[in-house]
Amino acid sequence: MGTMIVSPNPHIHAPVSTKSLMRDVVIALLPAVIVSILFYGWSELLVLGVSVASCVLLEWAITKWLLKKPSTIGDLSAVVTGLLLAMNLPCTTPWWIVFIGAVVAIGVAKMTFGGIGQNVFNPAITGRVFLLISFPQQMTDWTVPGGFIKGVDAVSGSTLLGQAKLGQLIDFNALDTFFLNIGGSAGEISALALLLGFGYLLVRRVVKIWVPLSIFATVAVISGIFHAIDPVAFTGPLFNLLTGGMILGACFMATDYVTSPMSTWGGVIYGIGIGLIVMMIRYFGAYPEGMSFAILLMNMVVPLLNRWFHQRKYGRA
Amino acid sequence: MTTIIWTIVTLAALGLVLSVVLFFVAKKFKVEEDPRIDEVEKVMPGANCGGCGFAGCRAFADSAVKASSLDGIFCPVGGNDVMKKVAGILGYELKEKAPEVAVLRCNGTCSARPRVNDYDGAASCRVKAALYSGDTLCAFGCLGCGDCVAACQFGAISMDPETGLPVVDEAKCTACGACAKACPRKLIEIRPKGPRSMRVYVACSNRDKGPAAKKACANACIGCGICAKTCTHGAVTVENNIAYIDPTKCKLCRECEAMCPTGAIHGLNFPKPLDKAAVKARIAERAKKAKEAANEQ
Amino acid sequence: MSSKITFSIGGVHPDDAKLARACATEVLPLPEVVYVSMAQHLGAPAKPVVSVGDYVKAGQVIAEPGGFISAFVHSPVSGTVKSIAPRKDLAGNSVTHVEIAVEGDEWAEGIDLSDTLVTEIPEDRQFILDRVKNNGVVGLGGATFPAHVKLNPAPGSKAECLILNGAECEPYLTSDYRIMVERPKEIVIGAAIMQKVLGGCRCVIGIEENKPEAIKSMSEAVASLGYPDIRVQVLKKRYPQGGEKQLIDAVMHRQVGSGALPISVGAVVQNVATSLAVYEAVQKNKPLVTNTLTITGDCLPVEKMHNYLFRIGMPLSYIAEVAGGVPQDAAKIISGGPMMGRAISNLDACTVKGSSSLLYLSESRTRRKSASACIRCGRCSDACPMGLEPFLLNRLYKAGDVEGLEQASAQDCIECGCCLYSCPAYIPLLDYVRQAKGMALGAIRARAAAAKAAAEAAKAAAPTPAPAEAAKNNEKISK
Repeated sequence: MGTMIVSPNPHIHAPVSTKSLMRDVVIALLPAVIVSILFYGWSELLVLGVSVASCVLLEWAITKWLLKKPSTIGDLSAVVTGLLLAMNLPCTTPWWIVFIGAVVAIGVAKMTFGGIGQNVFNPAITGRVFLLISFPQQMTDWTVPGGFIKGVDAVSGSTLLGQAKLGQLIDFNALDTFFLNIGGSAGEISALALLLGFGYLLVRRVVKIWVPLSIFATVAVISGIFHAIDPVAFTGPLFNLLTGGMILGACFMATDYVTSPMSTWGGVIYGIGIGLIVMMIRYFGAYPEGMSFAILLMNMVVPLLNRWFHQRKYGRA
Repeated sequence: MTTIIWTIVTLAALGLVLSVVLFFVAKKFKVEEDPRIDEVEKVMPGANCGGCGFAGCRAFADSAVKASSLDGIFCPVGGNDVMKKVAGILGYELKEKAPEVAVLRCNGTCSARPRVNDYDGAASCRVKAALYSGDTLCAFGCLGCGDCVAACQFGAISMDPETGLPVVDEAKCTACGACAKACPRKLIEIRPKGPRSMRVYVACSNRDKGPAAKKACANACIGCGICAKTCTHGAVTVENNIAYIDPTKCKLCRECEAMCPTGAIHGLNFPKPLDKAAVKARIAERAKKAKEAANEQ
Repeated sequence: MSSKITFSIGGVHPDDAKLARACATEVLPLPEVVYVSMAQHLGAPAKPVVSVGDYVKAGQVIAEPGGFISAFVHSPVSGTVKSIAPRKDLAGNSVTHVEIAVEGDEWAEGIDLSDTLVTEIPEDRQFILDRVKNNGVVGLGGATFPAHVKLNPAPGSKAECLILNGAECEPYLTSDYRIMVERPKEIVIGAAIMQKVLGGCRCVIGIEENKPEAIKSMSEAVASLGYPDIRVQVLKKRYPQGGEKQLIDAVMHRQVGSGALPISVGAVVQNVATSLAVYEAVQKNKPLVTNTLTITGDCLPVEKMHNYLFRIGMPLSYIAEVAGGVPQDAAKIISGGPMMGRAISNLDACTVKGSSSLLYLSESRTRRKSASACIRCGRCSDACPMGLEPFLLNRLYKAGDVEGLEQASAQDCIECGCCLYSCPAYIPLLDYVRQAKGMALGAIRARAAAAKAAAEAAKAAAPTPAPAEAAKNNEKISK
């Protein structure tokens, strides 16, 4: 008998790690990524490539030279951030703007707080919002340069939400939008692809459904009420659920472990908050889309929600 | 232009109102304190280590001011210098204390203690001690997870990767006792530093009987009692199979150190290395003379 | 048989790996010498009543209870007492052991060693309790709590339901499974005896769904013996179903309050192995000196796995040798299950009443990966069957916040290991939470002691005690 390992219990571990969770998120994003590459072509591939590569490189460089800690790129969280950032950008974004976004996402939003697990704000969204404010023109240029597959009636210039904001929404077909919605970022191209990925996350028990569900419910209720009051001035529930960053934001960004509440009820409140804010911005704000702002604002409340809401304890009423 | 003026005016007014509010709040909630507490706190080291037994330097100052003398109130970090100042401020008499230092009562190095288990739990001596007797056959020695290192606020303790034992940096050690409290095996003793930092101590805490202790660790004190027999100052006692050297009685002759069969007795900071043969010869000579004297009588 | 049920909070689903399920129980041959520990049970160690050189028979008392919560210890073999000295247990800590050199296998008088089933249950409650106590029966579900204490609840509390724990929710272990398949009738009679002692409460035998043969044999035994108010309940497979509090939640839909005993909600939980021991103690007057133990693991071929009927005091190394030696790939040997068992640091330690396995795990299966940063995924609190938040307890422990720990209910932790099991960052949560639990419990006990002392002081000061005021004081302090 050689030297035996001794440790406290438990002596076995579930087949799960930070890396496996992040890998599942990457897999879940793949359908939307593939669809967007097919329809947006090389330019989308470039945006995705630059974003992922610079996020990973930056995290590696910062851990190595600034924090002087073991590298954390192996956990794939930087890849997820890179993918999400890219999916929030128009495919026409110049590579250097994408790079700046990555610097803000990884360098400012993630690593300055101490790296994975420590950040208050969702890195990808922080990067995206920074770019939106700094480069409004490039960030709202939705020209489609043409993909590997020819899109259905390629819209150029503005998104459906943009048209609605200006009162120019001509026709909206919910079914078409659900399958394919050309004219927008990779994150809005196909609700179906995104929901497919989200379904995978649910089946793998990577995330729980409460946050997206409460966002969707709040959005549906609010837009339902407003649309019922004035169908001309306010867009309807289906439109609001299917357009913009709603599905990507609710299913993939608002569910980010680090920046969302840990308890079920905290998550529900958080979701309702996001739903409320996004609808206020869409209806009354200056921007056509408010998902990013809504998530960022609610990120700030998460520490409070974690303090207020706890899991149900055994034997305590 | 008007916008700018209005902004300035509003901000100024807001600032004014708030400062007035603050002023009254501060006044209303002001706590009357003995000003000497502040004075004492100022001369404290400010490490808030709790080595004195109080929650921090402020708590120490508070207790010192409220106490009627400095009995039982001593800042180990600041030592006599700081206490002199404290005594000066409060007008109390100062009882000087000999400087102390943390001493590890284990010398079970990796090479001396055969390893029979491989710990795979949290890197904490407390967790490890609660789980089992340790990676070696010695159920008393250092566990090597560095709780003392983590407890030391002065960076005075570091783990020696070669021996697997913590090393105390005497220059930095303030004898606050945090490490001694943190050690679940109670291996760290706060001992008088000794003249010019010279001191002799038993670097082992194994209470097993001789053979078991020897099997567990080559450097263990086996409780043989040779040291106690050798000591002419009555400084060494053996209890529960472990020797202890009373620092107040020890005259630093190093005879016990020379006689110890396992090297469990350590002498530190002596100018010359111990010449074991010479000391042993000296002891033998003395024994011979004593025998002769006895015979003559 | 009603539909499957389970507990309501948390839990995990490890692969059950009941690899040794098909191995019929074999009787281990006697070694040359046994070392019987005096600390085989929860509570005070037993006090030896034999001296070196004495000849003892198997089943003869060799140690008396050392306190109210303690138990008799009997000699597992016949032979001569060689020494009574400290010896290292499986964690390397010194415990007094009685060393007996085995000579033949002669049993003490009055013990029925036959296989005849005794179905008639004694009428006298005190007779039953005495038999249970004098034969050293302790709970064999893990905690080894003296059975006679648990079966004799304080006056005023009434047992409504005896829950027989046949969940065996720990992966790998099959000893409970084997006895449920091989000796179901004895177990059911044991349950009926306990029902009797508890004043005729109902009895539910909880068995997890992954043991259909056990469910079948136990149901048949219940039907054929025809005792009133005993039934088998199928449970969903979920860890830690066999936890006392979880089982009560599953079966009775009641939750035991923090710091309270199961009897406070009318429940008494006993393991199936304990029930078997009760049967042997009461019906056969046979002391608890044997139990079943599984030899299994992920690095052991199935043909080398065994379920053994062992006697207490057998060195683990001896059992390992009889079973064919420690496998080459074994990196960790565990006594108990992989979730809550204890890693063995000293294989020279000996079996005790509660021993349930020698589990060999390979390096890849058991070595912990190095911890990374918490990603706040909340999986630990989702998994915690007590509804605690291990990530928070970990943080509070590191900050030394005892008050915060108590508020976060660190004292309720049952150390099941679900938090660390499910942590994707491999943070040693339970290692720290266990310490945190100790801190919180320490604070609670210190306060209770202070309250008691204050109450006594008040009593001493005032000749006419004012109970209302004392109670008020208590309340103040406990707040």
